[in-house]
Amino acid sequence: MAGVKDDVWLHSACSSCVNSDCPIIVHRVDGVIEKIEGDPDNPHNFGKICSKGHSAIMSLYDPYRVLHPLKRTNPQKGIGVDPQWQQISWEEALTTVAAKLKEVRAKDPRRLFMGSFDHIVMHQTMYPWAQAFGTPNLLLVGGAWYCGPALHTALYLTDAQFHSEIDADYCKYAILFGNQMGGNAGSLSTTMGKKMADARLRGMKLVVVDPILTNIAAKADEWLPIRPGTDGALALGMLNVLLNECGIHDAPFLKNQTNAPYLVGPDGLYVRDSETNKPLVWDAARGRAMPFDGSPEDPALEGDYEVGGVLAQPAFQLFRENVRKYTPEAVAEITTIPAEAVRRIAKEYGEAAMVGAKIVFEGQELPYRPVAVNQNRGANAHKHGTVTALAIQLLSIVVGALYVPGSHMGLNVVGPAKYDWSWEPEADPDGMVLTPVSKAFSLYDHSYLYNFEDRILEPPYFAGQVKWPPDSPYFKELYPLGLGAAPVLEVVLSQPEKYNPPYVPEMMVLSRCNLMMGRVNPEIMAGILKRVPFIVVFAQQLDESAEFADIVLPDAHVLERLDFCSQMMHITESPATGHWYFGVRQPVVPPAGESRPWREVLLDLARRIGMLPELNTLMNFRYELKEPHKLDPDQEYAWEEICDRWGKSLFGPEYGIEWFKQNGYLVFKRTPQEMYPGPFLKPKWPIYFENFKRAGVALQPLVEKSGLPVDTSDYEGLLDWRPCPSYEHRHGEYDLYAVNYKLPMHFFSHSPQNAWLNEMGERHPYGYDIMVHTDAARRRGISDGDSIRVESIAGKVQGRAKLTEAIHPECVGIAGNFGGWSRGKPLAKGKGVHWNTLVPLGIEYVDGISSNLDACPRVKVYKA
Amino acid sequence: MARLGMVIDLKRCIGCYSCVAACKAENGTPPGVFWGRVLEKEEGKFPATKRTFLPVLCNHCQEPACLRVCPTGATSQRPDGIVLIDYKKCIGCRACMAACPYQTRYYLNSIQPYYPLGFTPFEERKYQKFQRGVVTKCTFCPERLDQGLEPACVQTCITGARYFGDLADPASQVSRLLRERYAFRLLPEAGTEPSVYYLA
Repeated sequence: MAGVKDDVWLHSACSSCVNSDCPIIVHRVDGVIEKIEGDPDNPHNFGKICSKGHSAIMSLYDPYRVLHPLKRTNPQKGIGVDPQWQQISWEEALTTVAAKLKEVRAKDPRRLFMGSFDHIVMHQTMYPWAQAFGTPNLLLVGGAWYCGPALHTALYLTDAQFHSEIDADYCKYAILFGNQMGGNAGSLSTTMGKKMADARLRGMKLVVVDPILTNIAAKADEWLPIRPGTDGALALGMLNVLLNECGIHDAPFLKNQTNAPYLVGPDGLYVRDSETNKPLVWDAARGRAMPFDGSPEDPALEGDYEVGGVLAQPAFQLFRENVRKYTPEAVAEITTIPAEAVRRIAKEYGEAAMVGAKIVFEGQELPYRPVAVNQNRGANAHKHGTVTALAIQLLSIVVGALYVPGSHMGLNVVGPAKYDWSWEPEADPDGMVLTPVSKAFSLYDHSYLYNFEDRILEPPYFAGQVKWPPDSPYFKELYPLGLGAAPVLEVVLSQPEKYNPPYVPEMMVLSRCNLMMGRVNPEIMAGILKRVPFIVVFAQQLDESAEFADIVLPDAHVLERLDFCSQMMHITESPATGHWYFGVRQPVVPPAGESRPWREVLLDLARRIGMLPELNTLMNFRYELKEPHKLDPDQEYAWEEICDRWGKSLFGPEYGIEWFKQNGYLVFKRTPQEMYPGPFLKPKWPIYFENFKRAGVALQPLVEKSGLPVDTSDYEGLLDWRPCPSYEHRHGEYDLYAVNYKLPMHFFSHSPQNAWLNEMGERHPYGYDIMVHTDAARRRGISDGDSIRVESIAGKVQGRAKLTEAIHPECVGIAGNFGGWSRGKPLAKGKGVHWNTLVPLGIEYVDGISSNLDACPRVKVYKA
Repeated sequence: MARLGMVIDLKRCIGCYSCVAACKAENGTPPGVFWGRVLEKEEGKFPATKRTFLPVLCNHCQEPACLRVCPTGATSQRPDGIVLIDYKKCIGCRACMAACPYQTRYYLNSIQPYYPLGFTPFEERKYQKFQRGVVTKCTFCPERLDQGLEPACVQTCITGARYFGDLADPASQVSRLLRERYAFRLLPEAGTEPSVYYLA
């Protein structure tokens, strides 16, 4: 762009985190980006962007960016081994990669493993590309063990969606579990940052449950520092207080919109109608059992009934009785939160829920439940994390605070009804809610949560079929309700001779997922990567994972590429805005050097390996392209033209890509149903998990056959807290927990290479240090600023101690993902501490349902 | 006569540094120079610990201590209250830095690139307006004000914690906030009459 004379503001969308996709305007003056601002007058981010968004300028112009394809000349691979890169042409690089792809595809396409955490490209292009290629192995993403298997599995069941938010506009009492919502370090940063600040000013009470006094905990009315891994016990204790001490629950909601009245037999399964096989409820009005969908007048929530020769009880009664053992006193022992606080918070929450209240919203009378619970990985990234996440979710369900004004909200469980491609959740045969499906907006079928026994595998193959021996090295077959079993893949691939997987990766293609830093101890991942014969990495910097590549392809920056419908409906589109928002991420400068957007390289490679017809056909299907916009299977299209067709197909002939580039986004108001779908949804929410019970029964023999230490204890219809390994080992030599947390100005492992963000990290009072509670430090003779070691059974790290009272005394806190070591990221190198090194890997550390890895390692701390 | 000032609502501020980055981008300040910063304080014993975030910038004082000590007239005050430094007149004596009670002035000993490999195109463009051997500080973004915009930190604040306007106009939003909420200024005993207020 040198020599270009211009002065323009262009619409685009930020991608400096994966949680927000904020619409932006970018100021380009004579070819140079001088400023990024939030796109004004749009409802998503109110014209605002955060520190990470502004700092995209520095990552765009990072002189350490990879600008040319590179070939490894040193066959040796390892941490610290110089790959001895040699610059090659794109033609040579792609010819080499295409030949390897063809070879693998001919031999066994499953042996190609693809990984990315670049959500939009991953969903829109990498998934159909991999499906066309013939590999189901897509989920080796940087975060797949880390942020969400337990969380998302639980939310799929209880929100029918992947992520959630709160309706801060109406909420009066919010509780966050292991979550920084509103603190610019989590989902929907800008939307919730503003809305929660408004709510605080308005008087919304905020309670934050977190071992660390995070930025948002600092803004809370009450900080409840909790022992890691025990949030589930707290939630069950609160449910006990609500149901058994305060007698608070939303009976009409539970009767009509949940499985609370379903009759459960002594075997833990539903009692079913002998003719229709439908679960039965007891109709108190008629005094007899009838199918749940037989229009019972008054489905009973309590009582003991003899039905068809067995003694049956409504699920609600079983649930209520089961939580009785979680007395505030017992919970205090587990969580370290005083019994008084457990009792008081539960009572305050229950009373603030105003069960039975109504509100008129835009002329529509709706239930009004101004209480919202929201959680993130801090609470549930543990063994037994699925049950923990469900227990927390049930705080919303028992008081009917779900998808109504003031309450907990999943994201976009229904689509914009004015379009024929809209979506809404359907019910399984037992009436339970299934996640809505939208091919165009990457909302997938997760009906395997209920029909795992006989389901048909639909790409992208999240869970596995219940069978043994396994079809995949993920051993997904042992996690039929899980979300990929990525940590198990790591266990298996790190010791293939021991676990004997059906096949191992022959080739890996990675983009924007730094496996070496984003997973557990890097030595383990290094061992895995060394065994993969051919690795291709799309890279902006030669990061810790690119150091293991055979070919590096220079990837364009997000400000240099085109993404259509930049909002992810399951992650970054917030219904709380009251609007629908369909945006574009348009390139504002051409790709630097020879870099190319990796999505477009995938399309190029599809042509080179003769897979274009399959890919175009799949794109027609996935993007729901209508005539005359469908792609000709045999023709090659530029990505921009595909976007143009897609826009016209979705929104009408005038909404081609030029329209989006000019206008930035299509925005329109949500109807009350689209804003608050709760009372309009017909399927039922679970308080009882019969599917778990069934899965446990189906799994048990397979687990025994496998001989693997898969924990099936959570496969019960009722929720119970169980200790994670770190809790069980809390009395030994490793006497502290190492917990990690996010800083608001950092994201993933790449942000410390951003010069501005790194400088902020360096100036932060302890962002790059290790938080140690003052008392724990004193006992170890550690002073503020001392160099200390933190050691677990998995590894050890070193850093500077920051003595603080802002952390649970049993914990040390490490922000991240920091502590990088690659030569290609010199600013990030050695900055902060690599917490992941400390996390033990093993099937015994994995959540039995979701495959989430336990993420609160036990450590000992001493002066270096 | 207008008196421009800023009101920062500490109940809203979450210490996210978005203002710090917006200032970097708008003003292109070199490494180590922060016209806007966020200070942080921890108080109290666990579990009653408190963390407080305090965004700071030049206070554009009504009685600027920096202006009184400037030997060359490089520091001046506009009629609307904005305190500016004229780099042409600044001799880098740093008397103003010693006089300012708020530590919001920076001496540009040298202008280094952010990345060791050299200046980025952004820096090449933005550093043209700086020179070595002078003192710099927050300007309240007068170029933005001239276009009818708010200062960059105000525009971007994701929680809406910052307000900018005419303190002399009783009808302005900033004046209204100061009437309605408890407000304070930093180091009032210094007698500098800051134009930056905080709501607690």
